[in-house]
Amino acid sequence: MKPFSSMTMKFANIWFVLVVILLCGKKHFSTRIGNFSHEAHVCPGCSRLTLKVEFTSTVVEHEYIVAFNGYFTAKARSKFISSALKSSDIENWRIVPRNNPASDYPSDFEVIEINEKQKDGVLTLEDHPNIKRVTPQRKVFRSLKYSDSDPMLHCNETRWTQKWQSSRPLRRASLSLGSGFWHATGRHSSRRLLRAIPRQVAQTLQADVLWQMGYTGAGVRVAVFDTGLSEKHPHFKNVKERTNWTNERTLDDGLGHGTFVAGVIASMRECQGFAPNAELHIFRVFTNNQVSYTSWFLDAFNYAILKKIDVLNLSIGGPDFMDHPFVDKVEYHAADFKYLNETASVHYVSGHRSICFLSQELPGGYGRVKPDIVTYGSGVRGSGMKGGCRSLSGTSVASPVVAGAVTLLVSTVQKREMVNPASMKQALIASARRLPGVNMFEQGHGKLDLLRAYQILNSYKPQASLSPSYIDLTECPYMWPYCSQPIYYGGMPTIVNVTILNGMGVTGRIIDKPDWQPYLPQNGDNIEVAFSYSPVLWPWSGYLAISISVAKKAASWEGIAQGHVMITVSSPAENKSKNGVEQTSTVKLPIKVKIIPTPPRSKRVLWDQYHNLRYPPGYFPRDNLRMKNDPLDWNGDHIHTNFRDVYQHLRSMGYFVEVLGSPFTCFDASQYGTLLMVDSEEEYFPEEITKLRRDVDNGLSLIVFSDWYNTSVMRKVKFYDENTRQWWMPDTGGANIPALNDLLSVWNMAFSDGLYEGDFTMASHEMNYASGCSIAKFPEDGIVIAQTFKDQGMHFLLFSLYCFWLLDSLLQYTSYGVMPPSLSHSENRQRPPSGEGCSLPERMEGNHLHRYSKVLEAHLGDPKPRSLPACPHLSWAKPQPLNETAPSNLWKHQKLLSIDLDKVALPSFRKNRPQVRPLSPGESGAWDIPGGIMPGRYNQDVGQTIPVFAFLGAMVVLAFFVVQINKVKSRPKRRKPRVKRPQLVQQVHPPKTPSV
Amino acid sequence: MVPCGAVLWRRLLRKRWVLGVVFGLSLVYFLSSTFKQEERTVRDRNLLQVQEHEQPILWKEQFSSGNSSHLSNQCRNSVQGKLLITDELGYICERKDLLVNGCCNVNVPSTKLHSCDSCLPNGCCSVYEYCVSCCLQPNKQHLLERFLNRAAMAFQNLFMAVEDRFELCLAKCRTSSQSVQHENTYRDPIAKYCYGEYPPELLPV
Repeated sequence: MKPFSSMTMKFANIWFVLVVILLCGKKHFSTRIGNFSHEAHVCPGCSRLTLKVEFTSTVVEHEYIVAFNGYFTAKARSKFISSALKSSDIENWRIVPRNNPASDYPSDFEVIEINEKQKDGVLTLEDHPNIKRVTPQRKVFRSLKYSDSDPMLHCNETRWTQKWQSSRPLRRASLSLGSGFWHATGRHSSRRLLRAIPRQVAQTLQADVLWQMGYTGAGVRVAVFDTGLSEKHPHFKNVKERTNWTNERTLDDGLGHGTFVAGVIASMRECQGFAPNAELHIFRVFTNNQVSYTSWFLDAFNYAILKKIDVLNLSIGGPDFMDHPFVDKVEYHAADFKYLNETASVHYVSGHRSICFLSQELPGGYGRVKPDIVTYGSGVRGSGMKGGCRSLSGTSVASPVVAGAVTLLVSTVQKREMVNPASMKQALIASARRLPGVNMFEQGHGKLDLLRAYQILNSYKPQASLSPSYIDLTECPYMWPYCSQPIYYGGMPTIVNVTILNGMGVTGRIIDKPDWQPYLPQNGDNIEVAFSYSPVLWPWSGYLAISISVAKKAASWEGIAQGHVMITVSSPAENKSKNGVEQTSTVKLPIKVKIIPTPPRSKRVLWDQYHNLRYPPGYFPRDNLRMKNDPLDWNGDHIHTNFRDVYQHLRSMGYFVEVLGSPFTCFDASQYGTLLMVDSEEEYFPEEITKLRRDVDNGLSLIVFSDWYNTSVMRKVKFYDENTRQWWMPDTGGANIPALNDLLSVWNMAFSDGLYEGDFTMASHEMNYASGCSIAKFPEDGIVIAQTFKDQGMHFLLFSLYCFWLLDSLLQYTSYGVMPPSLSHSENRQRPPSGEGCSLPERMEGNHLHRYSKVLEAHLGDPKPRSLPACPHLSWAKPQPLNETAPSNLWKHQKLLSIDLDKVALPSFRKNRPQVRPLSPGESGAWDIPGGIMPGRYNQDVGQTIPVFAFLGAMVVLAFFVVQINKVKSRPKRRKPRVKRPQLVQQVHPPKTPSV
Repeated sequence: MVPCGAVLWRRLLRKRWVLGVVFGLSLVYFLSSTFKQEERTVRDRNLLQVQEHEQPILWKEQFSSGNSSHLSNQCRNSVQGKLLITDELGYICERKDLLVNGCCNVNVPSTKLHSCDSCLPNGCCSVYEYCVSCCLQPNKQHLLERFLNRAAMAFQNLFMAVEDRFELCLAKCRTSSQSVQHENTYRDPIAKYCYGEYPPELLPV
């Protein structure tokens, strides 16, 4: 009996495991219901579009935010607070009523007002078990729009977390995700309002107007490069083919991303996509683990070209600069598609809503990723993996939105040969609506406007256009950072990169050269302009870099100067009607700048950009070692990106900041007060070292911000790249300290190879020293201020870049020679170290810095410096003065010729359609779409075969047992052996077997 | 004392119908999951849902290369070239010499027929357009046929979609998974467009 019973126990355990598995399986089926319930969640406060540049916040007196451990009703919250306050005898308090739609729902916080003995009351509140913390209420001011910051609504939307596993998606996506320059400082990261209403993005963008006109994407071939799509998804009726290019043997989407993307583009049920009748070609190039290889892409691309795909959606971030085969492919075959939509990096502008970049440009030159337009990237509804809808946010969401919109737009055009990447881009750009308060590097030309793009595309004539279409260096904030500092004689020329889009043909060229035509009445002759441009415009586009400088005669003049640049673009004839005659197109680029007299030397600060290197092409680790999830220094250290706050601060203190993009030998040191070098990774030419020494003797001041360089740490931060199948070893530390030590050795200064971090206080300012090194050597008469760290017990000279007062003090010292008392009388001041007994860092053996360096070149043995490059020389364009007045409003001037948006009328359509309508529970997802869109045949049986089968099986088993039980009942009942307690005890303590 | 719950639980598990239900549910789960798996393997057999059209490739040009027939007919060409372009007859010319109908102007001296400039003996060229032009040489037909017969599995769906020789040459000359090593560098960064059977020669970095 006993052995048997223990056996059954074992079996029971196994069965139990099986039951658990079964439950998990069941849970899977029920997720759809769960989805519906949260889709009905309403929070109207979220749907408003608000953007802002800056926040300031102040503490509201007597008001506190009490945060709870969970979500409670208003009644429960008030009970908690009153019980907590009762113990400390505070009676003079009240709950500040919040009248907003969220007040009907449980909340996790309460705002209270306490008028007396604040401290004690607050302390007692925190003792309550249900209260998490108490913080002072803050009032938040925005520079553009003020809104009550109370309703911090929590919206249950599914966020698309970027948990990319592979090297490619991670790197591609991270180009501006997370590491974007605008949130390098974390300034905007604290307040984030999320949208609640998952939106039907197609309706929001008014795609339904085009649907009513009969355009549904028919006849357009769309390729989706993603994680695949399952065979009989109920949302799609026109999946032409599915191909797999990965090493997984399946065509199905095991992740849901590919389905979502395809859904946003072409779903026809529940959550409507843009172009339900488009021909879908599904390319599975990502595995379910989000892994992808360049070679898969290359082959898939070739196939897409062969299939004459019109619109291709590639849901990865910007290209990996290192990956030449990939970049070439995208560039070379841009000509083969009508539109190649390569996207997208998300960016949360002040947390309210996401804006996604659509960058088609392959970065180069200035190195900035520039969006063309922005569109919705958060809370977009798309198809779920097995049907139903889901709402996603993030990087890869805006890409299908644009791909879908473009597909729909292509199908509206009668003459399909008119549509090419350039004309599509021109239409999208010209129709985009500008967002207030966001600069052009963040919003491009503005928000996607589908209907206006439709109008433009349908009256489009092949032509060239410019992006941006005007240069107004006085316009803030759109032209930030250009607008933040007026130009003056003797300053570094301002360079603006303009893209020339050529809708006339794949290739084109600029006839003669661009003409500079200053307006004499607007003092246009006070500026000088130089051009550099691509000799051949290919594919579909080219660049035009304009350098603007002040003429000598305006050295002490103040005012606004205007003019324009004329360029004529020609392309070979494309169609028969104009037999052999070249097509030409002339575009005008207005320019407006503010000129001031040259500021005194002490006010001018030069930022050294030449000696900064960034990730592509080499591995330069981030300065802050704590940021492990993205170890590469993507943005470099630029005064307008990572160091934007420093720049703004310096400007507000009245300093003029110029950027040096050439070697030290190329600037006139007598014009500048201070040279600022921050975390330089580059080496120095011997000529530069000599010149800098002379400059410093002649009164130039030098501020050097250094970072760590420690060979053992550098070996530690190496990583293995799955994509290239090789180890990546950093080429420098956070800064190239050996090179800096060479530069500074003349003054008997040196940095050590230590690596420190910590918080410290100096002159009553709290600061954080994120990572850095210590000073090893310093001249006898210098000032060294030392800080000791608890954990390290070493001395170092401090610098944290985000403590501006320190920078101020230093600049005050370097510019005017006045030592601020906070520095000179610091109690931490001590004797400068002599450098004895301290190891100086050596350059790491076998680093590949010379591969990327502008200074070094490979040599047998150690790399040697190259010969010094010539300083950039600009040849100023010969002005052709015009005696005419400039247009008053630059940005409203016609963006595309022969298209006047005000005159093109839209066909009549119902205007009162609600833009966003949440689904109520139980309502089917079907929209009242006019006939023609909803097809007659649905694949409704998909996903239902398995439940039916399971149900049948269950019925059979049930029937079997019913019969069994009946049998048992009909037989005379046998008394079951009862398990008795003694037996059980015996079971627990089995008798010892006697030993032999 | 043994907790009461455990006893009840044990007693419950002894009941035959409980075990039966557990068994039944497990059976259902087992059957349904095997069925699902089976379904998947069946589907995986025809991974690439491309129509297997056994249509032979057109090896001959569709019209004779006489001067007069050119103008009346449209040519397909290699569209994306920056400076050069190759038409379907195998002529390579500068972009400015491209006629309106898409063919190269054969009367311009710089236009060449079936030119293998920049191509290496191994069948790899440094200019895409020359690769296409060279590939269209009539004596390369044997080579291409041999390649098609033993086209690697990865390429099957790619070359299955090809309809004639010009398309085959366009597709063959493009860089593909065969052109790269380590996923992000070309095997041969110079001569990377290959019409031949073999991938580019692997050059040391």
